[in-house]
Amino acid sequence: MASLLVLGASKIALGDMLFILISFILLSLAVKHYAWGPVTKMMDARSEKISGDLDYADQERARADKLGKEREEALKNSRAEAIEIVNKAKDNGDSQKKAIVADAHSEAETVRTKAKQDAEKAKQDAMQDAQNDIANLSLEIASRVISKELNADDQKSLVDSYIKELTVNNETK
Amino acid sequence: MDDKYKFIDFLGLRFNVANDLSALVAAILVFILVFSLSRKITMKPGKAQNVLEWMIDFTDSIVKSAFPDGSGSRFSLYAFVLFLFIFVSNQLGLIFQIKVDGFTYIKSPTTNPLITMSLALISLMLAHYYSVKKFGFGTYLSNYARPVSFLLPINLLEEFTNFLTLSLRLYGNIFAGEVLLALIGTVAKSFGLVSFVVAIPVEMIWQGFSVFIGAIQAYVFTTLSMVYISRKMERE
Repeated sequence: MASLLVLGASKIALGDMLFILISFILLSLAVKHYAWGPVTKMMDARSEKISGDLDYADQERARADKLGKEREEALKNSRAEAIEIVNKAKDNGDSQKKAIVADAHSEAETVRTKAKQDAEKAKQDAMQDAQNDIANLSLEIASRVISKELNADDQKSLVDSYIKELTVNNETK
Repeated sequence: MDDKYKFIDFLGLRFNVANDLSALVAAILVFILVFSLSRKITMKPGKAQNVLEWMIDFTDSIVKSAFPDGSGSRFSLYAFVLFLFIFVSNQLGLIFQIKVDGFTYIKSPTTNPLITMSLALISLMLAHYYSVKKFGFGTYLSNYARPVSFLLPINLLEEFTNFLTLSLRLYGNIFAGEVLLALIGTVAKSFGLVSFVVAIPVEMIWQGFSVFIGAIQAYVFTTLSMVYISRKMERE
């Protein structure tokens, strides 16, 4: 074996070097064409796909987060809106109730005052009538009972004064 | 050992039949291996594709450790083929050796220094070629006088020692392994049945260890090749 290494030894198998070189190059080319090329291409494609998928997942998650936040916001808004609506309805009901009660009050008041006025008027009328009747009656009674020297006017004034006295007496009582 | 080889003289060059045939067998075995592993290439890898991708990742990691900046991807294929070829070559002689009429025809091709020197020469030629390609010839030459000029002889000497250590380390390991295997074989035959029974487990152990050494040496050769190439491509 050592003789192979000594330069100038009668015969060195230098053809082996050439053979190895050529076979190695051919092997490299064959491996590249049949195995290395397709596999590395697929590996690159896979790593690209994985990073793409990861990016896509990130995007999707961000979108889902955004959507969720929007939903939450909308929910919160709708709740506030509902509360507002209920409050408004309550306010409306209150004010309506107040208005109705106030209307009823005022109507009752007018009815009462009118009734009072009517009653007053009726009382006045009745008093007037009674006054006249009493005057006529007493005049008649007086004309019948006492002498005929008193004329009607004197009689009336007499009765009036008498009644006035009566009413004054009544009021003071 | 005292093996005899057939030689063929062709076009003034001498061919060692055992070397060439073994190298050819190793190359064909490597090709059959990767060819059968790469038949169904899919996005979701099957078992075979996983094995192939694992091997590619392994040699890629060797390249990446030698080229940390990631510029070594063009050497990935070379590292892959080199690793597989040396690995299969180392194991070839452990699995079978063919001798006809005292002449060896099939053995580990890496038990011959010429073969390992050829492989080392390929690596170092690549290193020098890419160094010249990157820096230009003038800068390539001036790189021998870096970092200081008096290192020039040492740097020149280093080129030869690189070549010799790279090739002879592989040759020595594999050759010694096969010599010891053959020695254990002769021991087995020396005292009839007794020595045969004793020698078989020893042979098995040494064969297993040789498989280990073959794998380690393939890894070391590929790693050092990449380191030499990357060192030629950077300025000190």
